[in-house]
Amino acid sequence: MTELIRAQGLGKRYGATKALDELSFKVEPGRIVGLIGPNGAGKTTALKAVLGLIRFDGQLSVMGLDPYRQRHQLMQQVCFIADVAVLPRWIRVRQLVALVAATHPRFRPGVCEQFLARTDIRRDSRVRELSKGMVTQLHLALVMAIDARLLVLDEPTLGLDILMRKKFYETLLNEYFDEQRTILVTTHQVEEVEHILTDLLFIDRGRIVLDASMDEMQQSYAQVAVRPDQIAAARALSPLAERQGLGRTHMLFRGVARSQLERFGDVGVPSVADLFVAVMQGARP
Amino acid sequence: MNRFVWLVRREVWEHKAIWIAPAIVIAVLLVAVFTMGIQLGPIGVSDVTSALGQVPLEKQTKLLLVIYTALAVVMFLVMGVIGFFYSLDSLYADRRDRSVLFWKSMPVSDTETVLAKFATAAVVIPAVAVVGALAAQLVIAAGGSAKLWMADAGAAIMWQPAALLASAGIALLWAVTAALWYAPVIAYLMLASAWAPRGPFLWAVLPPASLAVLEKVLLHSEYVGDLIGWRLVGMYELMERQEHQLKLGGPAGDVVVDGVDLHASLLQLYGSPGLWLGLAAAAALLAAAIWVRRYRDETT
Repeated sequence: MTELIRAQGLGKRYGATKALDELSFKVEPGRIVGLIGPNGAGKTTALKAVLGLIRFDGQLSVMGLDPYRQRHQLMQQVCFIADVAVLPRWIRVRQLVALVAATHPRFRPGVCEQFLARTDIRRDSRVRELSKGMVTQLHLALVMAIDARLLVLDEPTLGLDILMRKKFYETLLNEYFDEQRTILVTTHQVEEVEHILTDLLFIDRGRIVLDASMDEMQQSYAQVAVRPDQIAAARALSPLAERQGLGRTHMLFRGVARSQLERFGDVGVPSVADLFVAVMQGARP
Repeated sequence: MNRFVWLVRREVWEHKAIWIAPAIVIAVLLVAVFTMGIQLGPIGVSDVTSALGQVPLEKQTKLLLVIYTALAVVMFLVMGVIGFFYSLDSLYADRRDRSVLFWKSMPVSDTETVLAKFATAAVVIPAVAVVGALAAQLVIAAGGSAKLWMADAGAAIMWQPAALLASAGIALLWAVTAALWYAPVIAYLMLASAWAPRGPFLWAVLPPASLAVLEKVLLHSEYVGDLIGWRLVGMYELMERQEHQLKLGGPAGDVVVDGVDLHASLLQLYGSPGLWLGLAAAAALLAAAIWVRRYRDETT
């Protein structure tokens, strides 16, 4: 199976700043990929390159197309939420739905109606009259009703409360995602997406610092709650990171056999957030 | 094609002034007609309608034609202002509120977007102007006949089919000609709208204005200024050749309207290279607007 997205040596400068620095990664079809990085790491820039919104150096192919030159063809297959609340404020909900239905060949009005029916959004409200949460819900309803092969979400749940966020990711996983679709998502709320992600891409200063599937991650990384008397022995195996918590020292290891680690204490799978912190600390001097 | 119609529809939804402005003009006319003797330039309807019965039928028709055409001109001026600001806003408003990223997430090419907006300015707005002008004529005809009826004169004078038809024909021809003549102006404003980092009005007006001033100061010539002036009013300069033949007033309602032939004046424009060169310029400017819309980085 060929990759859906293939980026090779992707570069982008804004003045003297390198937003993307020789960025390379691949995204296979049928995956949910989390592009995770600190502020200013280049997440949004990378997504914009994928969506053909900006010029870039290097090679990038999205579904076999050059996103910058063949943007129009690409948009037949790709759907994105580039930022929250970018829906035009003057338009009425009814008009917006009708307009998307008329201009997007892959839009399924019935599905959109189904999503909208779960919200309190009135069809003749204007977007500017809706609350921030409703605008996001409306945008998500529109986007999820589009039968796209690639869905790109840049901080899709910003401004939503925790209940809505949870619901959104549940819906995305259970009612939208399937083997034919690929989702590329960036978010700050790593805890909320980690259960739906199949792949992780950590990005820092315009470079990929970790590229692994969740399975690989769970196999090669382990978090150990080290008993106090084992700390020195555990440190000898050079953990990636160490933090204190509840009377134990939690250490993160990579590529160390589980049997070896079990001597130090309880072994578990690190959370994406822990892994992220560890990798970022490791990547930075 | 259907998609294109939807894109144009979107524009009319967003820019409600396109249909509200002519509705206001008609409402104002209605009020004016029923509360006061309306003045349209030199022509007072109350004076003229009372004088109408005293002039021969042929002159009545011509005089009515002048009144109805004057109404169309009012409507065209209003819609011209609407068209100016529409064009200036067309490719800027969604960048300002950042909804451009939503529009760009739809599989609508930037060419389609720009052409739909151009069609709104160059087809929809003139068409609304024509419909508005005809509606205004009907309002004045109704008002005029009410006044005539109250004055015990023949109300039917206002409804002479020859005058109504001819004025409708002139309004239509005028709108089409103006759309063609001003196409490069629309395209230029759209280019400024697509390009301006902010404040498209200044970005549209300043470059040609400073160019004209620079030329005047440095070269003591006025080619740029003349060119701009010609594009803005040249259409009427070309038509003006016949205007001196229109004389109103005179003793005892003797209204001289012989020789006024707006129809011929408008048609004459199609023989002018200015019209066709303008269209070529419009095509080039539109292509530039599409390019800027497509490749401008909206995200920084």
